[in-house]
Amino acid sequence: MIKSRAGWSHRALMLLLMVYLLLPLAATLLYGFAKQWQTTVMPESWTLEWFGEMFRDLRFLEALWTSLYLCAISVALSLAVMLPAVFVITVYLPKWETFMKGIVVLPYAVPGVVAAVGLIRAYSGGPIDIAGTAYILIGAYFIVVLPYMYQGIRNSLITVSAVELLHSAELLGASRKRAFVTVILPNIWPGVIISTLLSFSVLFGEFVLTNMLVGGHIQTIQVYLYRRVGESGHLASAIAITYFLFILALSTVLMKLGKKMNGVAEK
Amino acid sequence: MSASYLELRGIRKMFGDSTVLNDVDLSINEGELVTLLGPSGCGKSTLLRCIAGLTEPDGGSIMLGPTNIGELPPRRREVGMVFQSYALFPNLTVYENIEYGLKMRGADKKERQSRCEELLALVDLENKKDAYPQQLSGGQQQRVALARSLAVQPKVLLLDEPLSALDAKIRKSLRTEIRDIQRRLKMTTIFVTHDQEEALTVSDRICIMNNGNIVQDGSPEELYAKPRTEFVARFMGSYNVLSREEAGRLFGVAVGSAASYALRPESVRLLPASAGEARRDRRVADGTIESISVLGNIVRYSVVSSGVKLTVDALNDGQSHRGEEGAAVALELDSSQLLALEKEGA
Amino acid sequence: MKQRNRWMLLGLVPFVVMVLAFQLAPIASMLAGSVRGPGGSGITFGHYVKIFESAYYLKAIKNSLLISFYSSLIGIVVGLACAYSITRFTPKIRDRLLMLSNMTSNFAGVPLAFAYIILLGNNGIFTLLFKEWGWDVFAGFNLYSWTGLVLVYVYFQVPLALLLLYPSFYGIRDQWKEAAMLLGARPWQFWRTVGLPMLTPAIFGTLGILFANAMGAYATAYALVGGNYNLLAIRIGSLVTGDVANQPELGSALAVLLAVSTIAAVILNHWMSKRSQRFTAAHASSGRASGQRRASRAKPWRAVKKEAGA
Repeated sequence: MIKSRAGWSHRALMLLLMVYLLLPLAATLLYGFAKQWQTTVMPESWTLEWFGEMFRDLRFLEALWTSLYLCAISVALSLAVMLPAVFVITVYLPKWETFMKGIVVLPYAVPGVVAAVGLIRAYSGGPIDIAGTAYILIGAYFIVVLPYMYQGIRNSLITVSAVELLHSAELLGASRKRAFVTVILPNIWPGVIISTLLSFSVLFGEFVLTNMLVGGHIQTIQVYLYRRVGESGHLASAIAITYFLFILALSTVLMKLGKKMNGVAEK
Repeated sequence: MSASYLELRGIRKMFGDSTVLNDVDLSINEGELVTLLGPSGCGKSTLLRCIAGLTEPDGGSIMLGPTNIGELPPRRREVGMVFQSYALFPNLTVYENIEYGLKMRGADKKERQSRCEELLALVDLENKKDAYPQQLSGGQQQRVALARSLAVQPKVLLLDEPLSALDAKIRKSLRTEIRDIQRRLKMTTIFVTHDQEEALTVSDRICIMNNGNIVQDGSPEELYAKPRTEFVARFMGSYNVLSREEAGRLFGVAVGSAASYALRPESVRLLPASAGEARRDRRVADGTIESISVLGNIVRYSVVSSGVKLTVDALNDGQSHRGEEGAAVALELDSSQLLALEKEGA
Repeated sequence: MKQRNRWMLLGLVPFVVMVLAFQLAPIASMLAGSVRGPGGSGITFGHYVKIFESAYYLKAIKNSLLISFYSSLIGIVVGLACAYSITRFTPKIRDRLLMLSNMTSNFAGVPLAFAYIILLGNNGIFTLLFKEWGWDVFAGFNLYSWTGLVLVYVYFQVPLALLLLYPSFYGIRDQWKEAAMLLGARPWQFWRTVGLPMLTPAIFGTLGILFANAMGAYATAYALVGGNYNLLAIRIGSLVTGDVANQPELGSALAVLLAVSTIAAVILNHWMSKRSQRFTAAHASSGRASGQRRASRAKPWRAVKKEAGA
């Protein structure tokens, strides 16, 4: 009895919504390929010049590389720290779960600007002077992805009923460490990869902390884009679209993985 | 017989390629409780939803008294409905739920109040009137739903498997309660269920449905005693359904021309294997007990005789016990109890 | 057993260190800074007093509150209508639509501001087109003004509202509508008496998230209007990174105020989702709970990204 009950009014509303949401994207895309575009609905002539210029621009490639490795390091760090922590809390100290949840949700409620204010105050001057360096940024990134990593790891642990798995592995004679490495890790891996990728895409789009903490010293792709907006609109379009396509590819992988995992879970 | 009150003619409904209702005709008298009984997917709920106007039939007419309600929107059909899942509004109290229909019809406050008090008393929930649905048990929620649909004094009450979500004990007490209320109010009611015991206890008349058709209707006694087809025989009870050849083998004589026959399990008597001499009009056959299950006041035996497997029910009175599984027994058969069945769809 | 558990605690050490260093210490430092007396000694509420006496900062707070309020309100109204619409489609189409709308939420912050500049900026495509066609209705429109900011904020609020709201429409069961219809209610009467009251917790909860999201949004506004528009987040940024005069204490005090407002909004969301869970728990017990209907109620921070770089 499941059929589409969507009448024409619903279809019209959805169409309108999609046009509204996709219009800025489409405009940016077209602008990136446009040579001449004034006072017409579509560009008058096309060119690949802007994309070419972008890839010839050393600063773009540098910024891209900086973004990639900063995000990768932060996510890897987060993974290394969060995996054991969430595991210990979920499996051995369930009483502390609410407390941990509270800490982990905090970055979601505290805006980036506020976090930046605190970080700058705490780490410029004083005993640990790391303001303006990559260290402070990686620390800040670690906090930004806390909610995503925590939720992802915890959900995976719960879906695979980690506690029961661990107990049965131990009854079969495996040590705890062995049980964690051989039984728990392989089972939660797909879920963990998803939250890793999600965290990566969040960090890739991060602007406020980067700009405020290290803006003058380190250029990520977002900061670079911000700098270029003022110079050439077309070039900035090409950068924005490239950035967007990258994020899109990442989310597609993310979704495919998620679907695959749900499929496995349903079996 | 008085002219019928609710009259369905040629109701037809397709979902995609499958026919859910195949030109169904049904007449119901005022004050009558008619049950639509059938397995899930037989079309009984769809028929009910067509009457309520929640599903639009592809063809046919629905007359309620002199009005053709088939043309009206649900809110003007004057039909009340109780759903399996209660469908109470969770944000409203018991009282507000019952009051809802009266409010929508623009009844004034005084009228609403007296009517609600009346109904709360009817379903015996006066002390719960300020509770929210989720604070009540399933049985209480269904009583509220009943009161809510009765509050607007519908001309017909539709009950869509109202007891199926409840546990066995409450189901039994609530079905007598529903029947009492229905009798007291002389409410014309259609009751949909897949449970034959429920149908037998509450109905004035039962319509058995299968594959979008009403295959047999009649009083509970009639249906139980005289199933017309194999489907009805199997559905109404644990009838033994035998092919003509099997029946012939069992009774030792040719048994007429029907394709299949039904034999009630309680019409067969089990005797000790030694009880050789039979009464003139009865036939005694040898058999072996395959399995025994005690169902409270009756004991159900599965017996094989002449290669035919039979279900035999005996009263669990401590006297008619006929031994263990694998024991040899004699079966006393009464050929007058053998019912000829019509072919399916005839 | 005890002994072994103690070893397990070691797994928590890096986590505790990181959280202390990069979350709790900065917050503590900010709180301390906001009440630090002149010359670095003593405790004073002078910075807060100064904010509430300064027309300039009050204006920034007011602008931020207003823009957050309006963009959330518009976001919720549009989101509500669209969320209802989206539940009317088959799950397959619904998921595609959600994916598209979710995809656009990656396009926030600097790139978004930039896209709007292309479309509606001083030399934007539409701006020039409208001029060419002589549509002067839009002549008064200025992207770098309050209306422009609201327009851009609404753009990132709508997908968020849609994503947070649509699951609650599956909590409104068709049988309630049918029961109401049979009791004589028209569709709008049903929505007024049952539908909307059932959605209220979800609506207020989502409003909280949207509000916090807009209050904390920085990148979009920064990229669009730079320091030229007086918003709380922008003000904090310039006070601390100090383009002009570096006043970290005052920045800290403003940041504390901003954090208080967003945390309050998120707490509102938390309360409200608890309330609506009470409702849904009640549905589950009434009759068969159909799994498909109870669309996943993932925590918002799992599924939803805030304004990128906010």
